Amino acid sequence: MSTVTRRAFLKATAAGVAVVGFPLPLRAQAKTVKVGLIHTVTGPLAEPGQACRAGAQLAADMINAAGGITSLGGAKIEFLLGDTQTKSDVARTEAERVINQGAQVLMGTFDSGNTAAIVPVAQQRRVPFLVDVAAADPITANVAKSVKAGQQKVQYVYRNFPTGSSFGRRAVQYFNEIFKETGQNPRRVVVMHANDLFGSIQAKGFKAAWDAAKPSWEIVDVIPWPEPPSDLSTEVSRAKALKPDIIAPITRPASAQLLLPELIKQRVEVLGVISPGSPGLYEAGQIAALKQDLEYVMDNVPWPNFKNPKTQQVAAEYRKRTGGKTFDTQSGYSYDAVFILADVLERAKSTDPDAIVDAIKKTRFSGGLMVYGGPVIFNDLGDNPNAIPAMIQILGQKPLVVWPKDAAQEKLVFPRPKR
Amino acid sequence: MTWLGIAALGVLLALPAVVSSYVLTILIFIFFYAFLGQAWNVVGGYAGQLSVGHAAFLGVGAYASAVLAQEVGLSPWLGMFVGGALAGALGAVIGYLGFRFGLRGFYFVLLTVAFAEVCRIVVNNVEAVGGAVGFYITFTGDPRQFQFRDNRAWYYVTLVLMLAATGIVALIERRRFGVYLAAIREDESAAEALGVDTLRYKMLAMIVSSFLTGVGGTFYACYLLSLQPNAVFGIPLSVEIIIRPIVGGSGTLLGPILGSFILTPLAEVSRYYLGQGGWHGAHLIAYGVLLVAVVLFLPEGAYPRLVRLVRARKRA
Repeated sequence: MSTVTRRAFLKATAAGVAVVGFPLPLRAQAKTVKVGLIHTVTGPLAEPGQACRAGAQLAADMINAAGGITSLGGAKIEFLLGDTQTKSDVARTEAERVINQGAQVLMGTFDSGNTAAIVPVAQQRRVPFLVDVAAADPITANVAKSVKAGQQKVQYVYRNFPTGSSFGRRAVQYFNEIFKETGQNPRRVVVMHANDLFGSIQAKGFKAAWDAAKPSWEIVDVIPWPEPPSDLSTEVSRAKALKPDIIAPITRPASAQLLLPELIKQRVEVLGVISPGSPGLYEAGQIAALKQDLEYVMDNVPWPNFKNPKTQQVAAEYRKRTGGKTFDTQSGYSYDAVFILADVLERAKSTDPDAIVDAIKKTRFSGGLMVYGGPVIFNDLGDNPNAIPAMIQILGQKPLVVWPKDAAQEKLVFPRPKR
Repeated sequence: MTWLGIAALGVLLALPAVVSSYVLTILIFIFFYAFLGQAWNVVGGYAGQLSVGHAAFLGVGAYASAVLAQEVGLSPWLGMFVGGALAGALGAVIGYLGFRFGLRGFYFVLLTVAFAEVCRIVVNNVEAVGGAVGFYITFTGDPRQFQFRDNRAWYYVTLVLMLAATGIVALIERRRFGVYLAAIREDESAAEALGVDTLRYKMLAMIVSSFLTGVGGTFYACYLLSLQPNAVFGIPLSVEIIIRPIVGGSGTLLGPILGSFILTPLAEVSRYYLGQGGWHGAHLIAYGVLLVAVVLFLPEGAYPRLVRLVRARKRA
């Protein structure tokens, strides 16, 4: 007799119907979501650009190993790699190239100018563009403006990174909170800054935020220097003459190595050296070069939340892959961007550009590894207001988060002990 | 030759109908750098006055028209001529200082570099135009704002720029002006002895060249939507401007165009095949090697070599 029971028959039929009736998800199994990953991999900004690429690749490998995008039938994330050479014309050409090769989403680029050059391509070709690292406010704000004015229908450009203006606001806020927390009442703050792209953005943002917040302390002077400087003794003696309580320096690696020793040499007595935002001050090479001169220095930077055990794991994996590099601002934000994108695609259930944009707007993602002020969301400018910097302090020759309090790895030391 | 030119023009006019937006972008930059090379050619090629600061003119033109458009609402269609005029004025100042005081060769090179650097540092420190942060232009896609939603429109814009500059250079070449410039290039003292007003013609060449470069700045601003002092006044851009006419044949009418058609695709091909993972910068090494090869095999430039080849074939 036949051994086919009614139940087995039904099961088999159901399976058959599933295969025949829903061929799309099955066929989609082999599909990939193509992401144009464009960074400043060569040229003057090569190092941070390479860190972005490495961080993003680590994230994509993890997502793919875990089964890809479930709602798209397990589609894997496939990167089409682009290099802007830190040039805007190349950035635009690379964006066109990856779209030509099938990119359904763009990510990039570290440099604000290069990123701005990709914006019109994303808007014209209707390819959603998630900016992972780039701080200049107008990148997203200008698109939002033209959408509002009816010159563009849909905004395809979004960013998960603190904007230039928010950097300054947060710095002033952290200054206030740190002073209050430690019961100190500094009055006179002297801002000293490298007069290059980063230095000017930070100094301007900090000053503007201070003007707006009107805190109890005063910015008594802003002293710029040409970057890279050959000597900073004049600038430091000018600062010393102002009897500062706080030196707020905005340095690049070259100027930090002159400024911090000079502050010690000229015996500038201050409660603390707190940077509103200096890229690279926390890097291993800087710490090795500056040693004790860097101890207790604070720096306001977007930083991974190492209190999160997942961050520790990912940082270890990142170090292994890159031959000992630190999981930092760039690699961290690019890593998070890929996971945000995966979350967006999961909810969009489609690679249609407008479906992706709708999903981006509804984002509420809390799986990020960086220090955030809340879940990742996107406001009407296309920015994440919860993308915030953290205050790190060099303690025991290690960069550690000390503020905001809930992300702090260590208690902050302020005022700094006298030497 | 005329028929060949008409055929080439026909192909260029028809291309946007068949190629992708990516290829169009490459062609747009080929035309744009050919245009800038052609502008440089007037003073650097024909008059033989080596300027390595042409980025300054592009920067002045770009900033002028972008700032006028964003702050005053002046359409870049007009702004490009204001920018060109300002760049021309700057060219006149540099030219006068250089030529009036007899700076030749390396000294003139240094003067032009110094001026470009001064511009870069000044703009870096002028907050009203964004300082070091740069100046950002809103993308509207409005043709009245010299912005286009379609890459094909940009293609024709840059094609017209390149052809117009080439037309101007062709006019100069055929006139007495062109002959004077060649005489100055070959032997300035001899030209002077024969009664050529060298100061006047060198100045004229400089002004025409810087004006055209300044006009190009508007395209740069409106196509790439942001201006950073280090990018638009920097020495790397000046080198980009010069390298095409030198490879193609400086002081020849078609040299800058040929040079651009050689170099931009070389850079693109090396990046296409070597820029995607593996060793960062492998594509730049490949491009560098190719560039060395081009210069080694075509020391006098591609165009003069091509002309000789064609003539030899005709004789054979």
